[in-house]
Amino acid sequence: MPIVELQQVRKAYDTKIAVADLSFRIEQGSMFGLLGPNGSGKTSSIRMMIGMTLPDSGTVSLFGQPFDRKNLHRVGYLPEERGLYKKMKVIDQLVFLGQLHGLDAIVASKRAHAWCERMEITEAIPKKTEELSKGMQQKIQFIASLLHEPELIIMDEPFSGLDPVNATLLQDTLVDLHKEGRTVLFSTHRMDQVEKLCDNICLIHRGHLVLSGGMQEIKSRYPKNRVQMVFEGDASFLDNPVVESAKNYNGMAEIKLREGADAQSLLAEAISKARISRFEVMEPTLEEIFIETVGGRTDA
Amino acid sequence: MRNVWLIAKREYLERVRTKAFLVSTLMIPLLMGGGIVGSLIMGSKAKSTSHITIVSPDQQLATDLQQELEHGKDSQMTVDVISPGNSATRATLDSMLTDKQLDGYLWITPAAHPNERPSFSWTPRSTADITTKGSITTALKTVLMRERLEHNGMVSRDVDALMQPVKVDTTQAGKNADTTSSFVAIYVLFFLMYMVILLYGMNVARSIIEEKTSRVFEVLLATIRPEEMMAGKVIGVGSVGLTQVAVWLLTAVLLTSGSLMGAIAGGQVHVSLSAMQIIFFVVYFLLGFLLYSSIAAALGAMVNSEQELQQLNMILVMPLAGCMFALVPVISNPSGTLARVISLIPFCTPLIMYLRISLATPPAWEIALSIVLMIATIYALLWIASRIYRVGILMYGKRPSLPELLRWLKYS
Repeated sequence: MPIVELQQVRKAYDTKIAVADLSFRIEQGSMFGLLGPNGSGKTSSIRMMIGMTLPDSGTVSLFGQPFDRKNLHRVGYLPEERGLYKKMKVIDQLVFLGQLHGLDAIVASKRAHAWCERMEITEAIPKKTEELSKGMQQKIQFIASLLHEPELIIMDEPFSGLDPVNATLLQDTLVDLHKEGRTVLFSTHRMDQVEKLCDNICLIHRGHLVLSGGMQEIKSRYPKNRVQMVFEGDASFLDNPVVESAKNYNGMAEIKLREGADAQSLLAEAISKARISRFEVMEPTLEEIFIETVGGRTDA
Repeated sequence: MRNVWLIAKREYLERVRTKAFLVSTLMIPLLMGGGIVGSLIMGSKAKSTSHITIVSPDQQLATDLQQELEHGKDSQMTVDVISPGNSATRATLDSMLTDKQLDGYLWITPAAHPNERPSFSWTPRSTADITTKGSITTALKTVLMRERLEHNGMVSRDVDALMQPVKVDTTQAGKNADTTSSFVAIYVLFFLMYMVILLYGMNVARSIIEEKTSRVFEVLLATIRPEEMMAGKVIGVGSVGLTQVAVWLLTAVLLTSGSLMGAIAGGQVHVSLSAMQIIFFVVYFLLGFLLYSSIAAALGAMVNSEQELQQLNMILVMPLAGCMFALVPVISNPSGTLARVISLIPFCTPLIMYLRISLATPPAWEIALSIVLMIATIYALLWIASRIYRVGILMYGKRPSLPELLRWLKYS
């Protein structure tokens, strides 16, 4: 059963089409990345998933049923633009947001303390939000979206504006939540993050779906035709017929192979001519796939 | 409902806990207390205790005046009489004025003809002392009138009886309708609403603008409906205002209760409000406040900054001020068609329907209808406000024009 399903969803604001006939589904228990450059329609899609706006046409289903506000208590949402009450104490704020999700004040307070410990910000608990650093505020917001232990976690650009240490902490937490069996959906414009974390992705561009599916499955659709190698000695093996183009950075080469070519013959020749310390057939990165797909489309 | 309550509770507590709230809530009663103490001091002075001298060739007139000023209704002066004065007297009195032994003297010059009044010349130590002058003028009038009446042959007891103040009671058939107290109550209601709406209605609008800038709404909208948020804000922020007003009113009542009771007992102010009238006063005041706060919420949803809000300030109180024009026709004919129609317009209901209730009993269904209409209007306003708010904030972030507003209402 898909936890989230969008079917032919379309949303236009005045003249701008934000989302055009977008369809995808998110299976239960998956770690789903919603990808796309800025302004591609990620936030618009997410807002329709949680009923903040309604699609002009098409349908949105949550938990296998047509959208119903009652199910929002099963969703944790972290908006792209963070917002907390500046003058309010962190603990009061968390309890308040927890209560809005149907929690009892005592339970909310207990969980808030536990989470603050987990996110290493216990010292922030009695403070007012305005006294906190931006990174800390973001962690509070992150906690606020998780207090009610949602089955589906939707995060819009969760890592933006965080330093590497905190970004890793958040990533690890998301991975843990995923392991607990929760479905995680997050959007980002940084494709490298998705590659590490997600098992399923959906790539959109200008409101249109570009790619969707399992990460491995998508990657396998694209040929492994790039080789990275580090060597010492004669570089003449780069003229091998399987090489379409090559860049040699003084002993470190990036090679693009011809379509259908086998890297093994290149390796054989290289061994005979130079001392090889590294030879790797690279998977295409999402970024390359994106540029290739979108570039192809815009040309067409 | 739970969400509305949670939002309202948060707004209320966050606001009540601020220092600004504490200070402004306490300052006004302190000022009121200070004012009362001040006016008590002034009041004891107002019952003039000046020391004056009357110079008159007419011994009888001077003594009567002395009697009136020393034991009269509103003066307890010390009065010396010099009768008759000579040219040296004036000089002596003037030097007494300079030495502050005297607050002033009254020089009476007898009339040339027997049927004319004598002429009076008042020389005070300080021309700013108008209370003493006032007391003397009143006393003179009384004394002169009494003298003339007695001169014309009236017995002194009849004169006393004649000079009693007059009291008029109003009664209407079957109903203790007191127009004066209805009128007082309606003015109190009007000014209370006007003040509270001006002071606190804008707070609702401000808190909604604040929510926009803090961007918390997006977190909230992931769980609750914008209508719930609006309703919570109106109730929460509104309650803060009501708390403050309640504290103020309570202090005012406590501080003035003594003199108020005295005034009522003394028969100067005749207030008769039935329990029914008080209940309707509270009901219509609260509904009116909610209604106007909802307008404020809609205004807050439309604009993005306090400056823009200032320009719309007048819209908020205009309907209320407009009701004042309807007061006179409604009072003269509280059951007429005009009065009935106006009292059902939600923006006018709190004032006009209340006025009708206190003047003549309107049919119960009209009262019920007016309340239902008000509640429906409040709901509609909140719905519109939340629409404008959600569409505006999620999509544009600018102040909409009127056609855009109408278009937004259709968005979902």
